[in-house]
Amino acid sequence: MSQLQTRFFTDNKKYSVDDVPFSIPAASEVQELSNVINKLLEAKNDCLVCQCDLKRVLCVLQEDVVEIEYVERFTAPQPEECMMHDDWISSVEADSEWILTGSYDKTARIWSLEGKAVMTVAGHTDVVKDVAWVRRDGLTSLLLTASLDQTILLWEWNSERNKLKARHCCRGHAGSVDTIATDPTRTKVTGEEEEVEEPPSRPRKKQKTEQLGLTRTPLMTLSGHNEAVSSVLWLDSEEICSASWDHTIRLWDAETGSVKTTLTGSKVFNHISYSPLCRRLASGSTDRHVRLWDPRSKDGSLVLLSLTSHSGWVTAVKWAPSHEHQLVSGSLDNLVKLWDTRSCKTPLYDVSAHEDKVLCVDWTDSRLMLSGGADNKLYTYRYTACETDAGA
Amino acid sequence: MMRLSVSRPEKLYSTPITDIRNTVGNVPMEWYQDYPHIGYNLDGKKIFKPIRNKDELDEFLDKMENPDYWRTVHDKTTASDIRLTDEQVDLVHRLQKGQFGDVNFNEYEPSVDFFTNEVMIHPVTNRPQDKRSFIPSLIEKEKVSKLVHAIKMGWIKPRKPKETTPQYYDLWAKEDPNAILGRHKMHVPAPKMRLPGHEESYNPPPEYLLTEEERLVWEQQDAEDRKLPFLPQKHSCLRAVPAFSRFIHERFERCLDLYLCPRQRKMRVNVNPEDLIPKLPKPKDLQPFPTTMSLVYRGHTSLVRSISASPTGQWLVSGSDDFTVRFWEVNTGRCMKTLEVGGAVKSVAWNPNPAVCLVAVERTVLLLNPSLGDRLVVSSTDQLITAYEPPEEDKEQAVTWALSEGLEHNMGHRLTLTHPKAVKQVVWHGKGDYLSSVMPDNSSNLQVLIHQVSKRRTQNPFRKNKGLVQCVSFHPLRPYFFVATQRYVRVYNLIKQELTKKLMTNCKWISSMAIHPGGDNLICGSYDCRLAWFDLDLSTKPYKMLRHHKKALRGVAYHRNYPLFASGADDGSVIVCHGMVYNDLLQNPLIVPVKVLKGHQITHDLGVLDVTFHPTQPWVFSSGADTTIRLFT
Repeated sequence: MSQLQTRFFTDNKKYSVDDVPFSIPAASEVQELSNVINKLLEAKNDCLVCQCDLKRVLCVLQEDVVEIEYVERFTAPQPEECMMHDDWISSVEADSEWILTGSYDKTARIWSLEGKAVMTVAGHTDVVKDVAWVRRDGLTSLLLTASLDQTILLWEWNSERNKLKARHCCRGHAGSVDTIATDPTRTKVTGEEEEVEEPPSRPRKKQKTEQLGLTRTPLMTLSGHNEAVSSVLWLDSEEICSASWDHTIRLWDAETGSVKTTLTGSKVFNHISYSPLCRRLASGSTDRHVRLWDPRSKDGSLVLLSLTSHSGWVTAVKWAPSHEHQLVSGSLDNLVKLWDTRSCKTPLYDVSAHEDKVLCVDWTDSRLMLSGGADNKLYTYRYTACETDAGA
Repeated sequence: MMRLSVSRPEKLYSTPITDIRNTVGNVPMEWYQDYPHIGYNLDGKKIFKPIRNKDELDEFLDKMENPDYWRTVHDKTTASDIRLTDEQVDLVHRLQKGQFGDVNFNEYEPSVDFFTNEVMIHPVTNRPQDKRSFIPSLIEKEKVSKLVHAIKMGWIKPRKPKETTPQYYDLWAKEDPNAILGRHKMHVPAPKMRLPGHEESYNPPPEYLLTEEERLVWEQQDAEDRKLPFLPQKHSCLRAVPAFSRFIHERFERCLDLYLCPRQRKMRVNVNPEDLIPKLPKPKDLQPFPTTMSLVYRGHTSLVRSISASPTGQWLVSGSDDFTVRFWEVNTGRCMKTLEVGGAVKSVAWNPNPAVCLVAVERTVLLLNPSLGDRLVVSSTDQLITAYEPPEEDKEQAVTWALSEGLEHNMGHRLTLTHPKAVKQVVWHGKGDYLSSVMPDNSSNLQVLIHQVSKRRTQNPFRKNKGLVQCVSFHPLRPYFFVATQRYVRVYNLIKQELTKKLMTNCKWISSMAIHPGGDNLICGSYDCRLAWFDLDLSTKPYKMLRHHKKALRGVAYHRNYPLFASGADDGSVIVCHGMVYNDLLQNPLIVPVKVLKGHQITHDLGVLDVTFHPTQPWVFSSGADTTIRLFT
């Protein structure tokens, strides 16, 4: 069997090994490589308790010496809870305590992280397409639901008394509202509409501030997209990013309402997500790829990377809130995939819990992954680093 | 005739003393035939004709008896005979010889030079010399200087020295040695005779000798069938070999072969079959087009006859044989609405303008408001329908219009058009006010109806039955109306109310038809597996015939923006083709098949029943007999 000269390196100081080449069999698998690393670590530091699972991520062939970067392995995400809904789940958003889901049965629901149904938000006359938390003051929280009936409802929910009160109804869209986003300071809301009515008019993006009164009108309309806007988010408190069916992602100035940058792709965008950690935009479109974009690049349409493993449309993407390389994606092929952006061909894990199309994914700060889909089930996955991390 | 050999007579007759001369001049004497005279003499007196003319006998006697007959000539002008004198005869002789008439003229007199040939020292004349004879000419000088200048400047090339070497050239130098020139190049040598083998030997090896049975077989065979024209025979020595009895016969046949068998070189053109195929661009350069199946819309329980996408591209409507119409959300595959209509749905069509959707069910055409999309549009559509006021005089119409109320209204039904016969197809006009329905019937003229929704009016545009109508379509831009019967597509002008064109499809039975959004091209699918592309500007015959499907075509569609068209067939496949139409009238449309999309299962020998494109994206929907609708992107 042929041997390969390899050199191991890592960014993590805790698990670093000597910078000397090793000769290993060329046909080594991940497991064998992990064993080698673990042996090395044991020899150096015998107080390391147990074997640390390491995963080979990157192989660079460089003058006969293969450089292998290794990172610590996380345990596979385990489905923890399964929350049954009455109908398809169109959207999910979770904060540190509660999970908010929107469903095709015209309601939104609030769940506890343990999977207990707390509240049903009923008030829309059509399918709820998107939900969002606005802010929380102690026990009182504000939440938003956007629906196919062209309205966005702002609710006030008291978690202690479990009382729900509709505060405002936001009107102004001429089509179904498919996506909403709240800005980082939790004061503004951006809603997105899906359909245009009159052919010459453009889909508009509405932005609302806290005003009194039951019905509220948009603070600002961002027009420019030629077709339905599928996803919208705030990059920071001054910038709005929107993805559309007209194959573009646009960055808007929230103050003036003008387009700052346009990123042009070749496919319809389904969903976008932004990570402030690595300043990258991830997009899921109507093909098999998750694409990463740099929203700051001036020259427009550069795809930094495409992650290819799905076999259907990518309907949802979400960056990890605490890890700059990880993101999760959901697809029409019933799979939720966990990605490390350093390996663009194979995902870290495939989670095949769903029996039908995955429509939404989310990720909480407490490393809890969520996914909902057309099989009416919302799954939560516990996904943390391995025990050694915690123990050492 | 003068007989000159006759010796000259001694006796001379002198001419009459009186000099008779006719003064009429050189005029034809026939002019005086009717007169007694023949002219006038010098005195002006008439010259009378002689009393009696000589006849032939007189002439003959004269000839025999008169010794001077040979020198007598007749003068017509005076009608008298003149005997020539000796001098006159001599003159005649001289003239006959080509000599001068004058006897005394000497043609060979010694010549005397006018000027002497000797050069004299004095000039002939005493005229002083001209000045120009000794001063050089200015004109000449100018001409010479011009020539000198031209030679200096190189405008005139001095004459090349003549080449003294003999000029030969190769007569055949330019000739291609491989070229076939003339008959000698075409010479094909006569085929050589086969050399004798062991069979012909006088002492062949025993295996070449025929056995008794073989010999019997050989004798019974016809001469043409025999493998050998003779029987191999064994002789003890060459001396014992008898004369070959068939020798002359064989030579004769050989000569006949050479003479009668045509020998000609066959000119075979070597053409690579690949070169004959026109160069088409590669499919991957023609993207975007649908390549993979992305979504399956499940929910129907029977075969899905017809689908149609909303003009915004968010919704899809489908009609099925399970008596339902379903509305789907395109990007998730969610069935948003299901409507029971109480009959098999043959055709659905989404209004290109507002949110009205139209469904044709058995014998009825329903106008549905799906209540999807903008609320304002939905309500304004309802208002538009209810705002109708019936006219004063009620005209008899072919269909009955009924407004739905109550439960049906809540379900979305708005108008019901009850037709006298089963409706097969409905189609909207591009503006969204007019719609047409087709009721195929071979025996009546009531096959196609055009309805106006805002006025609730129905008219039958055709007076005559031109055959079983398969499908109809409105021109996207101009007031034309396309009617496909079993074998022809007729194009009518709706304003002038006349037949504009009749397209020969060369198909056995047309199943479906689609008009290019530009309006100048048309595709026709037929049950005999063909798809015909017509360029209406070009001809009434198909511009291209595509035979890619294995089974009958059921649906064809054009994309509104992208240069794509698709066809679905009973073999369960959808074939997407690139069909580029150029603005330049000189350039023909470019048609390239780009993708075969499979996915539908064949149930009851039916595959794909309808195809339609997404209005904005390069996506194609297909509905099949396997109760599913599929989206290919």
